[in-house]
Amino acid sequence: MSEQASREPSAVRAAQPAAATGSTAPISVHGVGVTLVRAAIIGGFLLLWELASGRWIEPFLISSPSRIFWSLYAGFRDGDLFQHTWVTFIEIAIGFPIGAFAGISLGYAFGRSRVLAEIFEPIIIALNGIPRTAVAPLFIVWLGIGLWSKVGVVFLLTFFLNFFNTYSGMRQMDHEYVDLANLMGVKGWKLTLKVIFPAISPYVFTGIRTSIPFAVIGAIVGEFVAATEGVGFFIRMSAGIFKTADVFVGIIVLMIMVIVMDKVAEAIEKRALRWQSQTEHIQIQA
Amino acid sequence: MSDLAQTAAQSAQAQADAVIRVENVSKLFRTPSEGTISALQEVSMEIGHSEFVTVVGPSGCGKSTLLKLIAGFSAPSSGRILFQGEEVRGLNTKTGYVPQESKLFPWLTVEENVGFGLDAKRYSRADRERQVSQFINLAGLAGFEKYYPAQLSGGMSKRASIVRALAYEPPVILMDEPFGPLDAQTRMVLQDELLKICERKRQTIVFVTHDLVEAVALADRVVVMTHRPGRIKDIINVTMARPRNIFEIHRQDGFDEAYGRLWNIFRHELMTKAH
Repeated sequence: MSEQASREPSAVRAAQPAAATGSTAPISVHGVGVTLVRAAIIGGFLLLWELASGRWIEPFLISSPSRIFWSLYAGFRDGDLFQHTWVTFIEIAIGFPIGAFAGISLGYAFGRSRVLAEIFEPIIIALNGIPRTAVAPLFIVWLGIGLWSKVGVVFLLTFFLNFFNTYSGMRQMDHEYVDLANLMGVKGWKLTLKVIFPAISPYVFTGIRTSIPFAVIGAIVGEFVAATEGVGFFIRMSAGIFKTADVFVGIIVLMIMVIVMDKVAEAIEKRALRWQSQTEHIQIQA
Repeated sequence: MSDLAQTAAQSAQAQADAVIRVENVSKLFRTPSEGTISALQEVSMEIGHSEFVTVVGPSGCGKSTLLKLIAGFSAPSSGRILFQGEEVRGLNTKTGYVPQESKLFPWLTVEENVGFGLDAKRYSRADRERQVSQFINLAGLAGFEKYYPAQLSGGMSKRASIVRALAYEPPVILMDEPFGPLDAQTRMVLQDELLKICERKRQTIVFVTHDLVEAVALADRVVVMTHRPGRIKDIINVTMARPRNIFEIHRQDGFDEAYGRLWNIFRHELMTKAH
């Protein structure tokens, strides 16, 4: 390798990234400072909250960090919170992959077939104009108050984001890669697997990761409308009887769910897109 | 025109075993802003087996378009292109294409990129590995097999891009200003390597460039094109002996003569454009 490096000065530059990928960057003073300030802000906020509760603001309005912590502990100790979390998780675990898969597939198909895109694009855009959570009651009517109505709402919210991201990836993909691959005799499913999917994968991952919070929203909205179990049901019931601490417990559980799912997706994305020097991830806020 | 006879003889010979025949090819583009643009007008030429032809001309003269037509990326508006006697319809998979930017597949390693064209060609695994490592060595990329294109320097990507087209051994390689964006030093090293590879493999190459020195240094024949609409202005034979030394190309017999003629044509082009 040193021989090549001496032949061309710029080869030295190339040798660096490979060496750097294995080791993590040393902890800097700057990094420690940032972490400390962040911890201080969060700690200060929780302390203020704790102090405010019962002194300046009624506890049933804002609860308090300590009450929330004990409710969380009690909820999982008694097992019913486990059950609610599990139910919501299953709704997402079924609806999200199906929705993502359908969205990605259709986005791909539209990108490959101009006729298909011409026929269906206006329809899809019109359907996208529907505020999707408003359809949730309809799903209850169609699919009952059990699991499948929530799966339906999760599917709906996941589908469109994945569809639009994949489709825009197909449209913005550098077509010269496809031409080159074709010229080298690569076509059909091999072309899809070895060229098109890798080329659009940054878009696909953006779709998947932005749709994760929406999948959770879908499940919760479904449970708000009509349900007998699930975290959304738990939050609504707790609010109904002014168990504010439990409302926050439900919110925390959902937050953790989103974070865990996003971390898993992020790890998969990093592995799949390791060929990129850095990945750009755009988070679209609801 | 003392070498008219020579040109005629050469073209007759080229016609006999022409790999590529371009016959009265025109190409029109429709653009929203400028209406219809004529990129190529009535272009005819022959390229013989194991011939190194460079195409020079000002930017926008349709030289890249000509390459794309030969590769079959798009069809001529009129006229036709014959490849080994058969008309090019659709992609011409018997050509290798080296685009302006390297266009290595960024998600594949150097090794996978170089081997990309081999998969479709039913090489046995052992043959494939031998072929890939041979061409990686040829490009001076040994040790960088597992690197991704984003980790390579410009010169290295360029070399990888060239051997990717060479590795599956298409009869003709088309190169679209492959050394354009490189610095002068890297450029010379790569020209030297390309010459060595071609002289060894007896590869047929059509090489588009806007650099007159490069055009003369590499070529058996230089095709000179005019400003839009692209037409062939002249074809110059380069009689320099091979193997050539790119680093001292100015001192080689035949360079001055060919370069002088080329420059005369371009000087005329520039003058007429200025008026």
